[in-house]
Amino acid sequence: MSPSVCLQEMIRVIRGARTQGEERGVIQRECAAIRAQFRQADSGGRSHNLAKLLYVHMLGYPAHFGQMECVRLIASSKYSEKRIGYLGAMMLLDEKQDASLLITNSIKNDLSHSSQHVQSLALCTLACMGSAEMCRDLAPEIERLLKASNSYIKKKAALCAVHIVRKIPELGEMFTPSAHSLLSEKNHGVLHGAVILITELCERNPDNLKQFRKSVPELVQIMKNLVTSGYSPEHNVAGISDPFLQVRILRLLRILGRNNDAASDAMNDLLAQVATNTDSSKTAGSAVLYETVLTIMDIRSESGLRVLAVNILGRFLLNNDRNIRYISMTSLQKIVQTDHTAVQRHRGTIVDCLKDQDASVKRRALELSLALVSAANIRSMMKELLLFLSTCPPELRSHAASGIFNAAGGDVRDETVPNLIQLITAASELHCYTVHKLYRALISDIVQQSLVQVACWCIGEYGDLLLKGECEEITPMQVTEDDVLDALETVLQSHMSTPTSRGFALTAIMKLSTRITNNVDRIRSVVSIYGSCIDVELQQRAVEYNALFKKYDHMRYFTMSYCTVILEFGCRSRLSLVLGY
Amino acid sequence: MMRFLLLFSRQGKLRLQKWFLPMTEREKKKIIRDMTTMVLARKPRTCNFLHWRDLKIVYKRYASLYFCCGLEDQDNELLALEVLHRYVELLDKYFGSVCELDIIFNFEKAYFILDEFLMGGEIQETSKQSIAKSIEASDMLQETMEEYMSKPAF
Repeated sequence: MSPSVCLQEMIRVIRGARTQGEERGVIQRECAAIRAQFRQADSGGRSHNLAKLLYVHMLGYPAHFGQMECVRLIASSKYSEKRIGYLGAMMLLDEKQDASLLITNSIKNDLSHSSQHVQSLALCTLACMGSAEMCRDLAPEIERLLKASNSYIKKKAALCAVHIVRKIPELGEMFTPSAHSLLSEKNHGVLHGAVILITELCERNPDNLKQFRKSVPELVQIMKNLVTSGYSPEHNVAGISDPFLQVRILRLLRILGRNNDAASDAMNDLLAQVATNTDSSKTAGSAVLYETVLTIMDIRSESGLRVLAVNILGRFLLNNDRNIRYISMTSLQKIVQTDHTAVQRHRGTIVDCLKDQDASVKRRALELSLALVSAANIRSMMKELLLFLSTCPPELRSHAASGIFNAAGGDVRDETVPNLIQLITAASELHCYTVHKLYRALISDIVQQSLVQVACWCIGEYGDLLLKGECEEITPMQVTEDDVLDALETVLQSHMSTPTSRGFALTAIMKLSTRITNNVDRIRSVVSIYGSCIDVELQQRAVEYNALFKKYDHMRYFTMSYCTVILEFGCRSRLSLVLGY
Repeated sequence: MMRFLLLFSRQGKLRLQKWFLPMTEREKKKIIRDMTTMVLARKPRTCNFLHWRDLKIVYKRYASLYFCCGLEDQDNELLALEVLHRYVELLDKYFGSVCELDIIFNFEKAYFILDEFLMGGEIQETSKQSIAKSIEASDMLQETMEEYMSKPAF
């Protein structure tokens, strides 16, 4: 293949390679030719050789030998060579490469070039890969260009200034006066750049924040003009006039209004206007509404405005577009602690989203639902969450289960315990995880009775999984038989335990007699002690279990084995019935 | 700001990569690998947003190409969808019914167009016509020079 074959021909040949090895061979030959060409400094084919190298680089092959060629091409007087040279610099040179400093001088010269397109190349490259030293060196040039008469250059200089401020925040004060005057520009590109620059300046320096708060009325006016202006073909996107600029202004207003009553007051009416009038049938409008809601929630807005914002999020939850449902939930999640009552009003819709097809939406709905569980709604929420647990995708199960356990606090009614147990039995993949989690919960706190009861039941049923010490979803604790029995006995003896909980604990201890090997004697003695317990119910159970040990030991394994039938908690079944006496 | 913009095919072949923050080659390769794996694994009719490390990932499929960008916490995901769409519109206008092959064989032009639309991870121009005019003018400048030199550009 001749070395001066054009770029497209080379691409065709590379794509024609049938195997990875063949492709590598072609590329090695091409790179060798390109290298030779670079060394020759042949003035004719320089741009297309670099272009070929950049293509090879994108395929993932090394291309660092092209760095110096970029430097040479940038210094050329031909526009086509500069263009590809700067592109090469942005792709191959970053601030970590030494060669990047070599282009500083070329950039400096090109910033004052007579052609705005050459200036543009320099500005773009500086904003893309300018190191801190380059920025410091060229900042005065950028400041000068911010005052240039050409909007094309001004908008690019503004973003270059943003990059410089990000790299060296102290240089921000150099740009503050220009940033302010740029707000009176009519050109949307320049305005957009100015708003971003002011945002960056305010985020880095609280003094700037104070100063630019004075610009709130000006920003409000610009927004008003955008919102109330008629159809503008140049900036219209789905009925919204320049949504990009609107969103940036709203974001800046958020920063300026935060923690400041005066600024928040000044933007209150505008935010209400945008929130009510923006058409959200397409993404562009929804993007603006979304940003408006974020701003309202973050500044010192009136309560009426806050409710309006939450209602918008509630409306978003019903939107057909799942993207909008998703971001609605992430937003609600952020405010569920501070505006709990307002979010509660939309609980029904949120719970419905548990059934959404999209896994991301489901996950968000789960997070939000768990955050919304309160004493007032716990019954219905438990029902929904338990239903969710039975049908949800595997990756969400453990998170849902632990959330439900945590929520199953003291306010839970009795039906929840058997329901939860039923569900745990059904989710066989989760037995190991569940028993570990519940054991951990039990040893840390035995106040919540329903949790205690479910935990005891689980430990009795799946104690062998607990003692084995392996678990996929979490790092398991190493638990000995003594540890488990200690935990259950603590429940038995604690004055905080209700009789029901004691019953659960005793039964669990008994069940463990078939699942452990070393401590059966300990179990036997516990059971016999409780044979004379004051609590009649407990005494009855203990006597029956004692009998199992003494007279019916051969049946102990059968009756205490894995329980696949859930006993009705309404009627107390007696072992006497099972044993037939 | 946008941290990066990637274009890749359904087979995971990279067609364009723009990085708005300095990163080592190793980091770039890791991100490319992670993005292609994550996005290509998504089922159809799921939402276009993902979470990865501390970034929000927004992606959209156009014909055989995935457009994928990484955003910071304060960036508006819905607007990012509009940004990706705007870029596709610009490519479409320039190439006339753009397809993946156009971007493969004219990748440098795809970059030139991107560099008129985004800069330093932010939007530099919100008017489609304005960008189209600048690209046209730059191309004219290049052609005039090449006519003078009477040699093909690339």
